[in-house]
Amino acid sequence: MSLETNHKLLIATSSTVFFILTLTVAILPAFEAQKTEPLPGIEVVEPDSLIAKGRALYLKEGCGTCHTQFLRDLPVDAPYGRGSLAGDYALESPPLLGTQRTGPDLSNVGVRQPSDVWNLIHLYNPRVVVASSVMPAYPWYFEEKIEAAENDVVVSVPDRYKPPGTVIVATPDALSLVAYLQSLKQIEVAP
Amino acid sequence: MNDTLAPPAGSEPESVKLIYHFLCWASFWLIVGTMYGLLAAIKLYWPEAVEYSVFSFGRIRPIHTTIVFFGWSSMALMGLTLFVVARTSKIPLQAPKAAWIGLQLWNVCLLMGLITLSLGISNGPQEYREVIAPIATFYAVGLILIFYSCYQTVAKRAIPEIYISNWYILGAFSWMTILSITAYLPFYQDGMGNVIIQGYYMHVGVGLWFTPLVLGITYYALPRLLGKPIYSYALGVLGFWTNLLFYTLIGAHHYIFSPVPWWLQTTAILFSVGMMVPVWSGSGNFFLTARGSWHKVRRSYAIIFLLTGIWGYALVSTQGTIEAFRSANIYWHFTNFTVGHSHLAMYGFISFAIWGAIYGLLPRITGNELSEGAIGLHFWLAFVGGSVYVISISAAGILQGASWVAGESFIASVDAAKPMWLWRSIGGLMMVASHIVFIVNLWNMRPKRDADLLAKVVAV
Repeated sequence: MSLETNHKLLIATSSTVFFILTLTVAILPAFEAQKTEPLPGIEVVEPDSLIAKGRALYLKEGCGTCHTQFLRDLPVDAPYGRGSLAGDYALESPPLLGTQRTGPDLSNVGVRQPSDVWNLIHLYNPRVVVASSVMPAYPWYFEEKIEAAENDVVVSVPDRYKPPGTVIVATPDALSLVAYLQSLKQIEVAP
Repeated sequence: MNDTLAPPAGSEPESVKLIYHFLCWASFWLIVGTMYGLLAAIKLYWPEAVEYSVFSFGRIRPIHTTIVFFGWSSMALMGLTLFVVARTSKIPLQAPKAAWIGLQLWNVCLLMGLITLSLGISNGPQEYREVIAPIATFYAVGLILIFYSCYQTVAKRAIPEIYISNWYILGAFSWMTILSITAYLPFYQDGMGNVIIQGYYMHVGVGLWFTPLVLGITYYALPRLLGKPIYSYALGVLGFWTNLLFYTLIGAHHYIFSPVPWWLQTTAILFSVGMMVPVWSGSGNFFLTARGSWHKVRRSYAIIFLLTGIWGYALVSTQGTIEAFRSANIYWHFTNFTVGHSHLAMYGFISFAIWGAIYGLLPRITGNELSEGAIGLHFWLAFVGGSVYVISISAAGILQGASWVAGESFIASVDAAKPMWLWRSIGGLMMVASHIVFIVNLWNMRPKRDADLLAKVVAV
């Protein structure tokens, strides 16, 4: 009986070793980590709220492909907020730390860029407000209308960025996405 | 090593057809996956291109990775393993029906994945597990069916020893099964729990699925093509165990300086250094096998493909070790340098090795040889295109990192990277062109009709 001649022993041994390592560095630490208490002051997002709908759209559009919500406690990340803590993510499923920063980190974007107007224009076409941006435009969250109705939220897009003779109206989806972005504010903690 | 004298197990017309189907479907997904990749690359330079929701960057990026991981790389590797397990066990492939059903299940899953991800139905940006659980479940069933076929073949082998290739192959299938289940079970995935599993999953997927499959195939293909035994069997065994021990422990290095427990980060960095043991024992073993056979290497693009893949392995793993250090993380993390690293791995290592094995082994069982020129055209397009891609996107990453460290406004890092993104698209275009050459080559290697094939195999 040896590993060279016994395939059952070979599979059993290598699977067991792998499973023990998996328990040690993944499953048990994950169980432990999810016990972390949320930071005091973090608001619970109600499942049917505008913010929750916006977060679902953020996931749907894969915004986390280019935007992290994860700041390191390093000078290079300091302009975007404080270093991220486990308690920042305790209520999030899935948390959106990310691995690529083609666009800036959004952990604290609700503080840095609180404006409705800016956010809506930026979602309709990022190049209206940031000329060399490479972010995708999301025109499918806006309607082009000849005339706005009474309760419509009109987005003030300059003429050369929209079809002539139209007004751009934000859909409820666009408004929820903006509400989510505005909700991204780091809780202050004692240094 | 007796394998070079082996009877043509695995060359039965039924097996050849099955293997060829695996490779054809893999190539189909290669074209789909790289077209998505190319579109994503173009969009970073020209964001208004193809402005439809189903082709939005955030949706197509996970489509690109899902399809090249599961469609192209996994499917091609599994097709090759079906041949290697039979040939090295010296019996016909067992339970080919199971493998066939597994292949079709994967095709259905890939199609469903393509549709759902296009519509934005996904798990969100959790890399390489974006596809929702119901679809992932069928992937797992397909995986286990193909595993069953490989397992039965090795279990009923006609020789007492399990050849080293089959260590890696059986290992890969068992680890991938455990890994997939661990990644999708929800019980420990709230808050930071999810992040710990994410780091583990995305790294171990490469290290204990793609890597061992490629090594297993290479441990058969390289000695076979060179017509000489492997330099050291013991190094192969050392690589097997150290790869298992070290690779599993390093996933957390994707979350350096994060709230992932500090001990886990440090463990990951430490064993990232340890990775040099399996990497250099594997690649060194292959180079030492090839030493003294340059007259053969020179005349065969199949061997050149394979050895380029091995170089890619050594290079990308050494680069990965350096990237794991906290000091390197400050400059390179979050930048496109990571994208360069992953393409060096999935293309320069995995894909080149796959092509070497296909060009080296497939003609021997289908009976249709290719001209060296046809393989050479594929090689040079892929090599130059891949190099342009990796060098330009890594340069983009270095420029981004430098801009951030200098404290410039964020858009300055976008402007700095843009010229490199153009070069990246040009490299990507050459890669796509090489894949079209590959499709033509694959067609020209199709199995001869049964009677001809049998005659050819007997003659050989």
